[in-house]
Amino acid sequence: MIMKEQTDIIFEEFSEQTEGGYASFIQSALKGVSSGFSLDSASFYEYDKKIRLLSLRVCHSGGLIYEHEENIKPETGSPVARALETMRPVRAVLPGGKYLYFPFSFDSNDNSGTVGRTGLIRLERNPRRRNFSSSESLKICAYLRSFLRFYYKAEYMALSGRYEKNIAAITELTEIFATALRVRDSFRKILAGVQVHFGFDRVRLYLIDEKNHKLKGELSVDIVGKIKSISYEEIPLEPGAHRFADIVLGQNSGVFMERYKDCVLYMPLAVQGVTIGLLIVDNLLSQQRIEPQELTMLKSFGGQIALAVDNIRLFDKVEELSLYDELTKLPLRRYFNTRFQEEFYRSERFKQPLSFIWIDVDYFKEINDTYGHEIGDVALREVGRIIMSNLRKIDFPCRYGGDEIVVLLPQATASEARRLAQRLHDEIDSLRIPVSFAKTKEMKLSISIGISTYPEDASSMEDMREKADDALYWVKSHGRGGIAMSSDVVAAKAKAAEEEKKRGA
Amino acid sequence: MKIWLLSDFDNRKHQTFRSLVYRFLSTSTDMKIEFFVKSRKSMWESLFAHLRDPRHNPMADIVEIPQNWTELFNRLGMLADLKPHLESLQKNLYPEPILAELCRHSRNNIYSVPWWQESPALFYRPQAIKTICKNPKDELASWNGFRKVLDTLAAHKKKIKYSRTLSVPGSSGAVSVTEVLPRVWGRRGGLFSEDFTRAAFTREETFGGIQDCLNLVLSGHVELFSQDRFENGFRPDEECAFVLSSRKITCSGRLMEMLPYPGCANGGGLLLVHNLAVSSSSPVQRDAAAFIAWLSEQRNAITFSEGFGVFPCLSAAFEEKLQRDRNADVYRHIFSAPELMPNIMAYPTAELLLERALWNLSLKIARGDYSKEDLTRELIMAQGEADYLLSLY
Repeated sequence: MIMKEQTDIIFEEFSEQTEGGYASFIQSALKGVSSGFSLDSASFYEYDKKIRLLSLRVCHSGGLIYEHEENIKPETGSPVARALETMRPVRAVLPGGKYLYFPFSFDSNDNSGTVGRTGLIRLERNPRRRNFSSSESLKICAYLRSFLRFYYKAEYMALSGRYEKNIAAITELTEIFATALRVRDSFRKILAGVQVHFGFDRVRLYLIDEKNHKLKGELSVDIVGKIKSISYEEIPLEPGAHRFADIVLGQNSGVFMERYKDCVLYMPLAVQGVTIGLLIVDNLLSQQRIEPQELTMLKSFGGQIALAVDNIRLFDKVEELSLYDELTKLPLRRYFNTRFQEEFYRSERFKQPLSFIWIDVDYFKEINDTYGHEIGDVALREVGRIIMSNLRKIDFPCRYGGDEIVVLLPQATASEARRLAQRLHDEIDSLRIPVSFAKTKEMKLSISIGISTYPEDASSMEDMREKADDALYWVKSHGRGGIAMSSDVVAAKAKAAEEEKKRGA
Repeated sequence: MKIWLLSDFDNRKHQTFRSLVYRFLSTSTDMKIEFFVKSRKSMWESLFAHLRDPRHNPMADIVEIPQNWTELFNRLGMLADLKPHLESLQKNLYPEPILAELCRHSRNNIYSVPWWQESPALFYRPQAIKTICKNPKDELASWNGFRKVLDTLAAHKKKIKYSRTLSVPGSSGAVSVTEVLPRVWGRRGGLFSEDFTRAAFTREETFGGIQDCLNLVLSGHVELFSQDRFENGFRPDEECAFVLSSRKITCSGRLMEMLPYPGCANGGGLLLVHNLAVSSSSPVQRDAAAFIAWLSEQRNAITFSEGFGVFPCLSAAFEEKLQRDRNADVYRHIFSAPELMPNIMAYPTAELLLERALWNLSLKIARGDYSKEDLTRELIMAQGEADYLLSLY
């Protein structure tokens, strides 16, 4: 009866530490048996039948609980080997002390199924103290058995805690995947969600670039939640090129992969049977095993993740179509207007220059009429390509309409804008468009350019646009194929007006 | 305040620490201290568990870590900078080699405080080898000399009364990283190239060092997964002719002499340093730092290290302890040019990779189906993983 009460008290203590699970339970058992039966130490060992090794998990000695790494191979015929063979307690008096070996074997459940746990508890008194009598041994064994019965409750509580955590993860992740379409940084949200809920050392996303037949790195999230782009990683989608490619292509990557299976999971993302990318989660830094239940759960999320990723890509595609000109790949006017507003405000606020270049392809209507729209399209595409290849990251071009293209140059002065315009002018001037049916077999292009700059030429967005347009008109009305700055045009106009005035006088 | 202490094969470490805690609490009555002893593996898992889910896996306020874990856990944002709290703890109170590996990327901060140190040495029983080794100091200076004496001794085992030729106290049963690294260092090997751009597990020096240690097992000098300690208690020194240990051997009865670790006769042996760090998420960082400062006081540092036969890191305490030691000259020689394991982010994981390889090899040896190719294969695999790790971190 006293024993029962003791066990209950210890179990109550244990039940307060639901997070501690198995380890806390064993510690409580060792503490209880040590203090209840006046032992010098009590140690808990698990036995791996396959490799025949006893491994120390935790020990209680001198009033302290401690873990330690100790692996022992029981010698045939020794008391400990007998205890494990017969699964009955064995007493022994040896030079090191007096011992009672209590073997145990029970089934334990986790998400991966039933796991058999075998081992023994070693109870020890030093050589000068009393032996374990048979009646005391019976009491100790009864005490430990009653404790092990409580293990199922402990396990249930630990499992219930894990399930609660999993349900919370499912709810939150499902919401993230569902809303992934509406947020700008969707990939980040998905990866961060997976990292936070599963707690992997790293989560990486690679997407298939079908056009270039490559697997391209997208994002990586590390254990502290730091997200970085891995767009510099490009893997040819060919067998043997890289193990990631082999996985996506469904081929085995050999021994090295096998070795990784415990702490790395490669998850191809597929939608309706078509692989669109690869999600890689790993515990490489901590070298910790990805638990079977995590694996199962992540695999069950695989479909949702793939769908969310695919949706995001489709959404991007739709957005691209609505904001970018398909022919020149330049942003459209609607997108440009928003960006112009933002850049103008920024220039105003930080007192930085902003230049506006207006480009017109000379005689574009005649090109279309003479050579046909197909050649006209080629001409525009080439002009767009040359413009894009000459811009800085912060510059913003736009197909403004027909053959008119404008470029916004944040933080660029009039002279800097002029230098760029000259470069564009020269490159397009040296461009030759092949025309197989023409006499010359090729066609030459030229452009006219007008430039205005904030704040020297204009004080508002509308003013900038007008001044650039005026400058362009000036070039077009003076023979085309040239470049005019708004300030030059104003000066020229003023000079012309002055001369006119003189002539009138 | 909660403390996680690393476990030790010598339980006196924890007992000494407990008495120090009691002494500290007797002077600061308003503080409550609880400490837990974790194995190295369990400490590692607990720290990562905290990183993954801090709410469900709170970290102790103070943790004891091997010095070369500092960089990793600092980079993961888990360790508090103790400099604001430990003004009295001047860095010049510690030897330069320890300071050099304290925190490679921020020498101005203190993310862990050096606590105690140990360096492996060779202990021998003169009585046991007097007929086969005339000049132990010279003959046991090199690894080959040591092996020769060991082999001769084993061949004459029946004539001597010691049950074992060699003991490695603290062994977990398998050959482990802590056992092989001193020999690897002795052969001037290491886990990484000097510029830390490549893993060097298969480099001749490293490979050879590991092989030397495995050969001790294969030739029967060291027993794997021995049941002896399990049933007979810890009593190696009374029964062995040689002991490879980083602890002072305090044997009752027959005397043991001490020499530097074989192959490190010119100094430059491996120094293992253990530090105390404070969690960056601890709400009682000031108290934690105060306790660490108290533990680092000369008197307390000596009490603690004497408790289980190691040395304090504090220079003055180390000197004081050395002056009282009968093997002071040998220790002075060992600590004259100590080398520490590099404190880089990937190093602790690389050690785990090697540990796993050694575990696999130990099982193979125990089963009797080991061949040298197994060592080559395991090290190639571990090196591949370590190289990959280096590319990531």
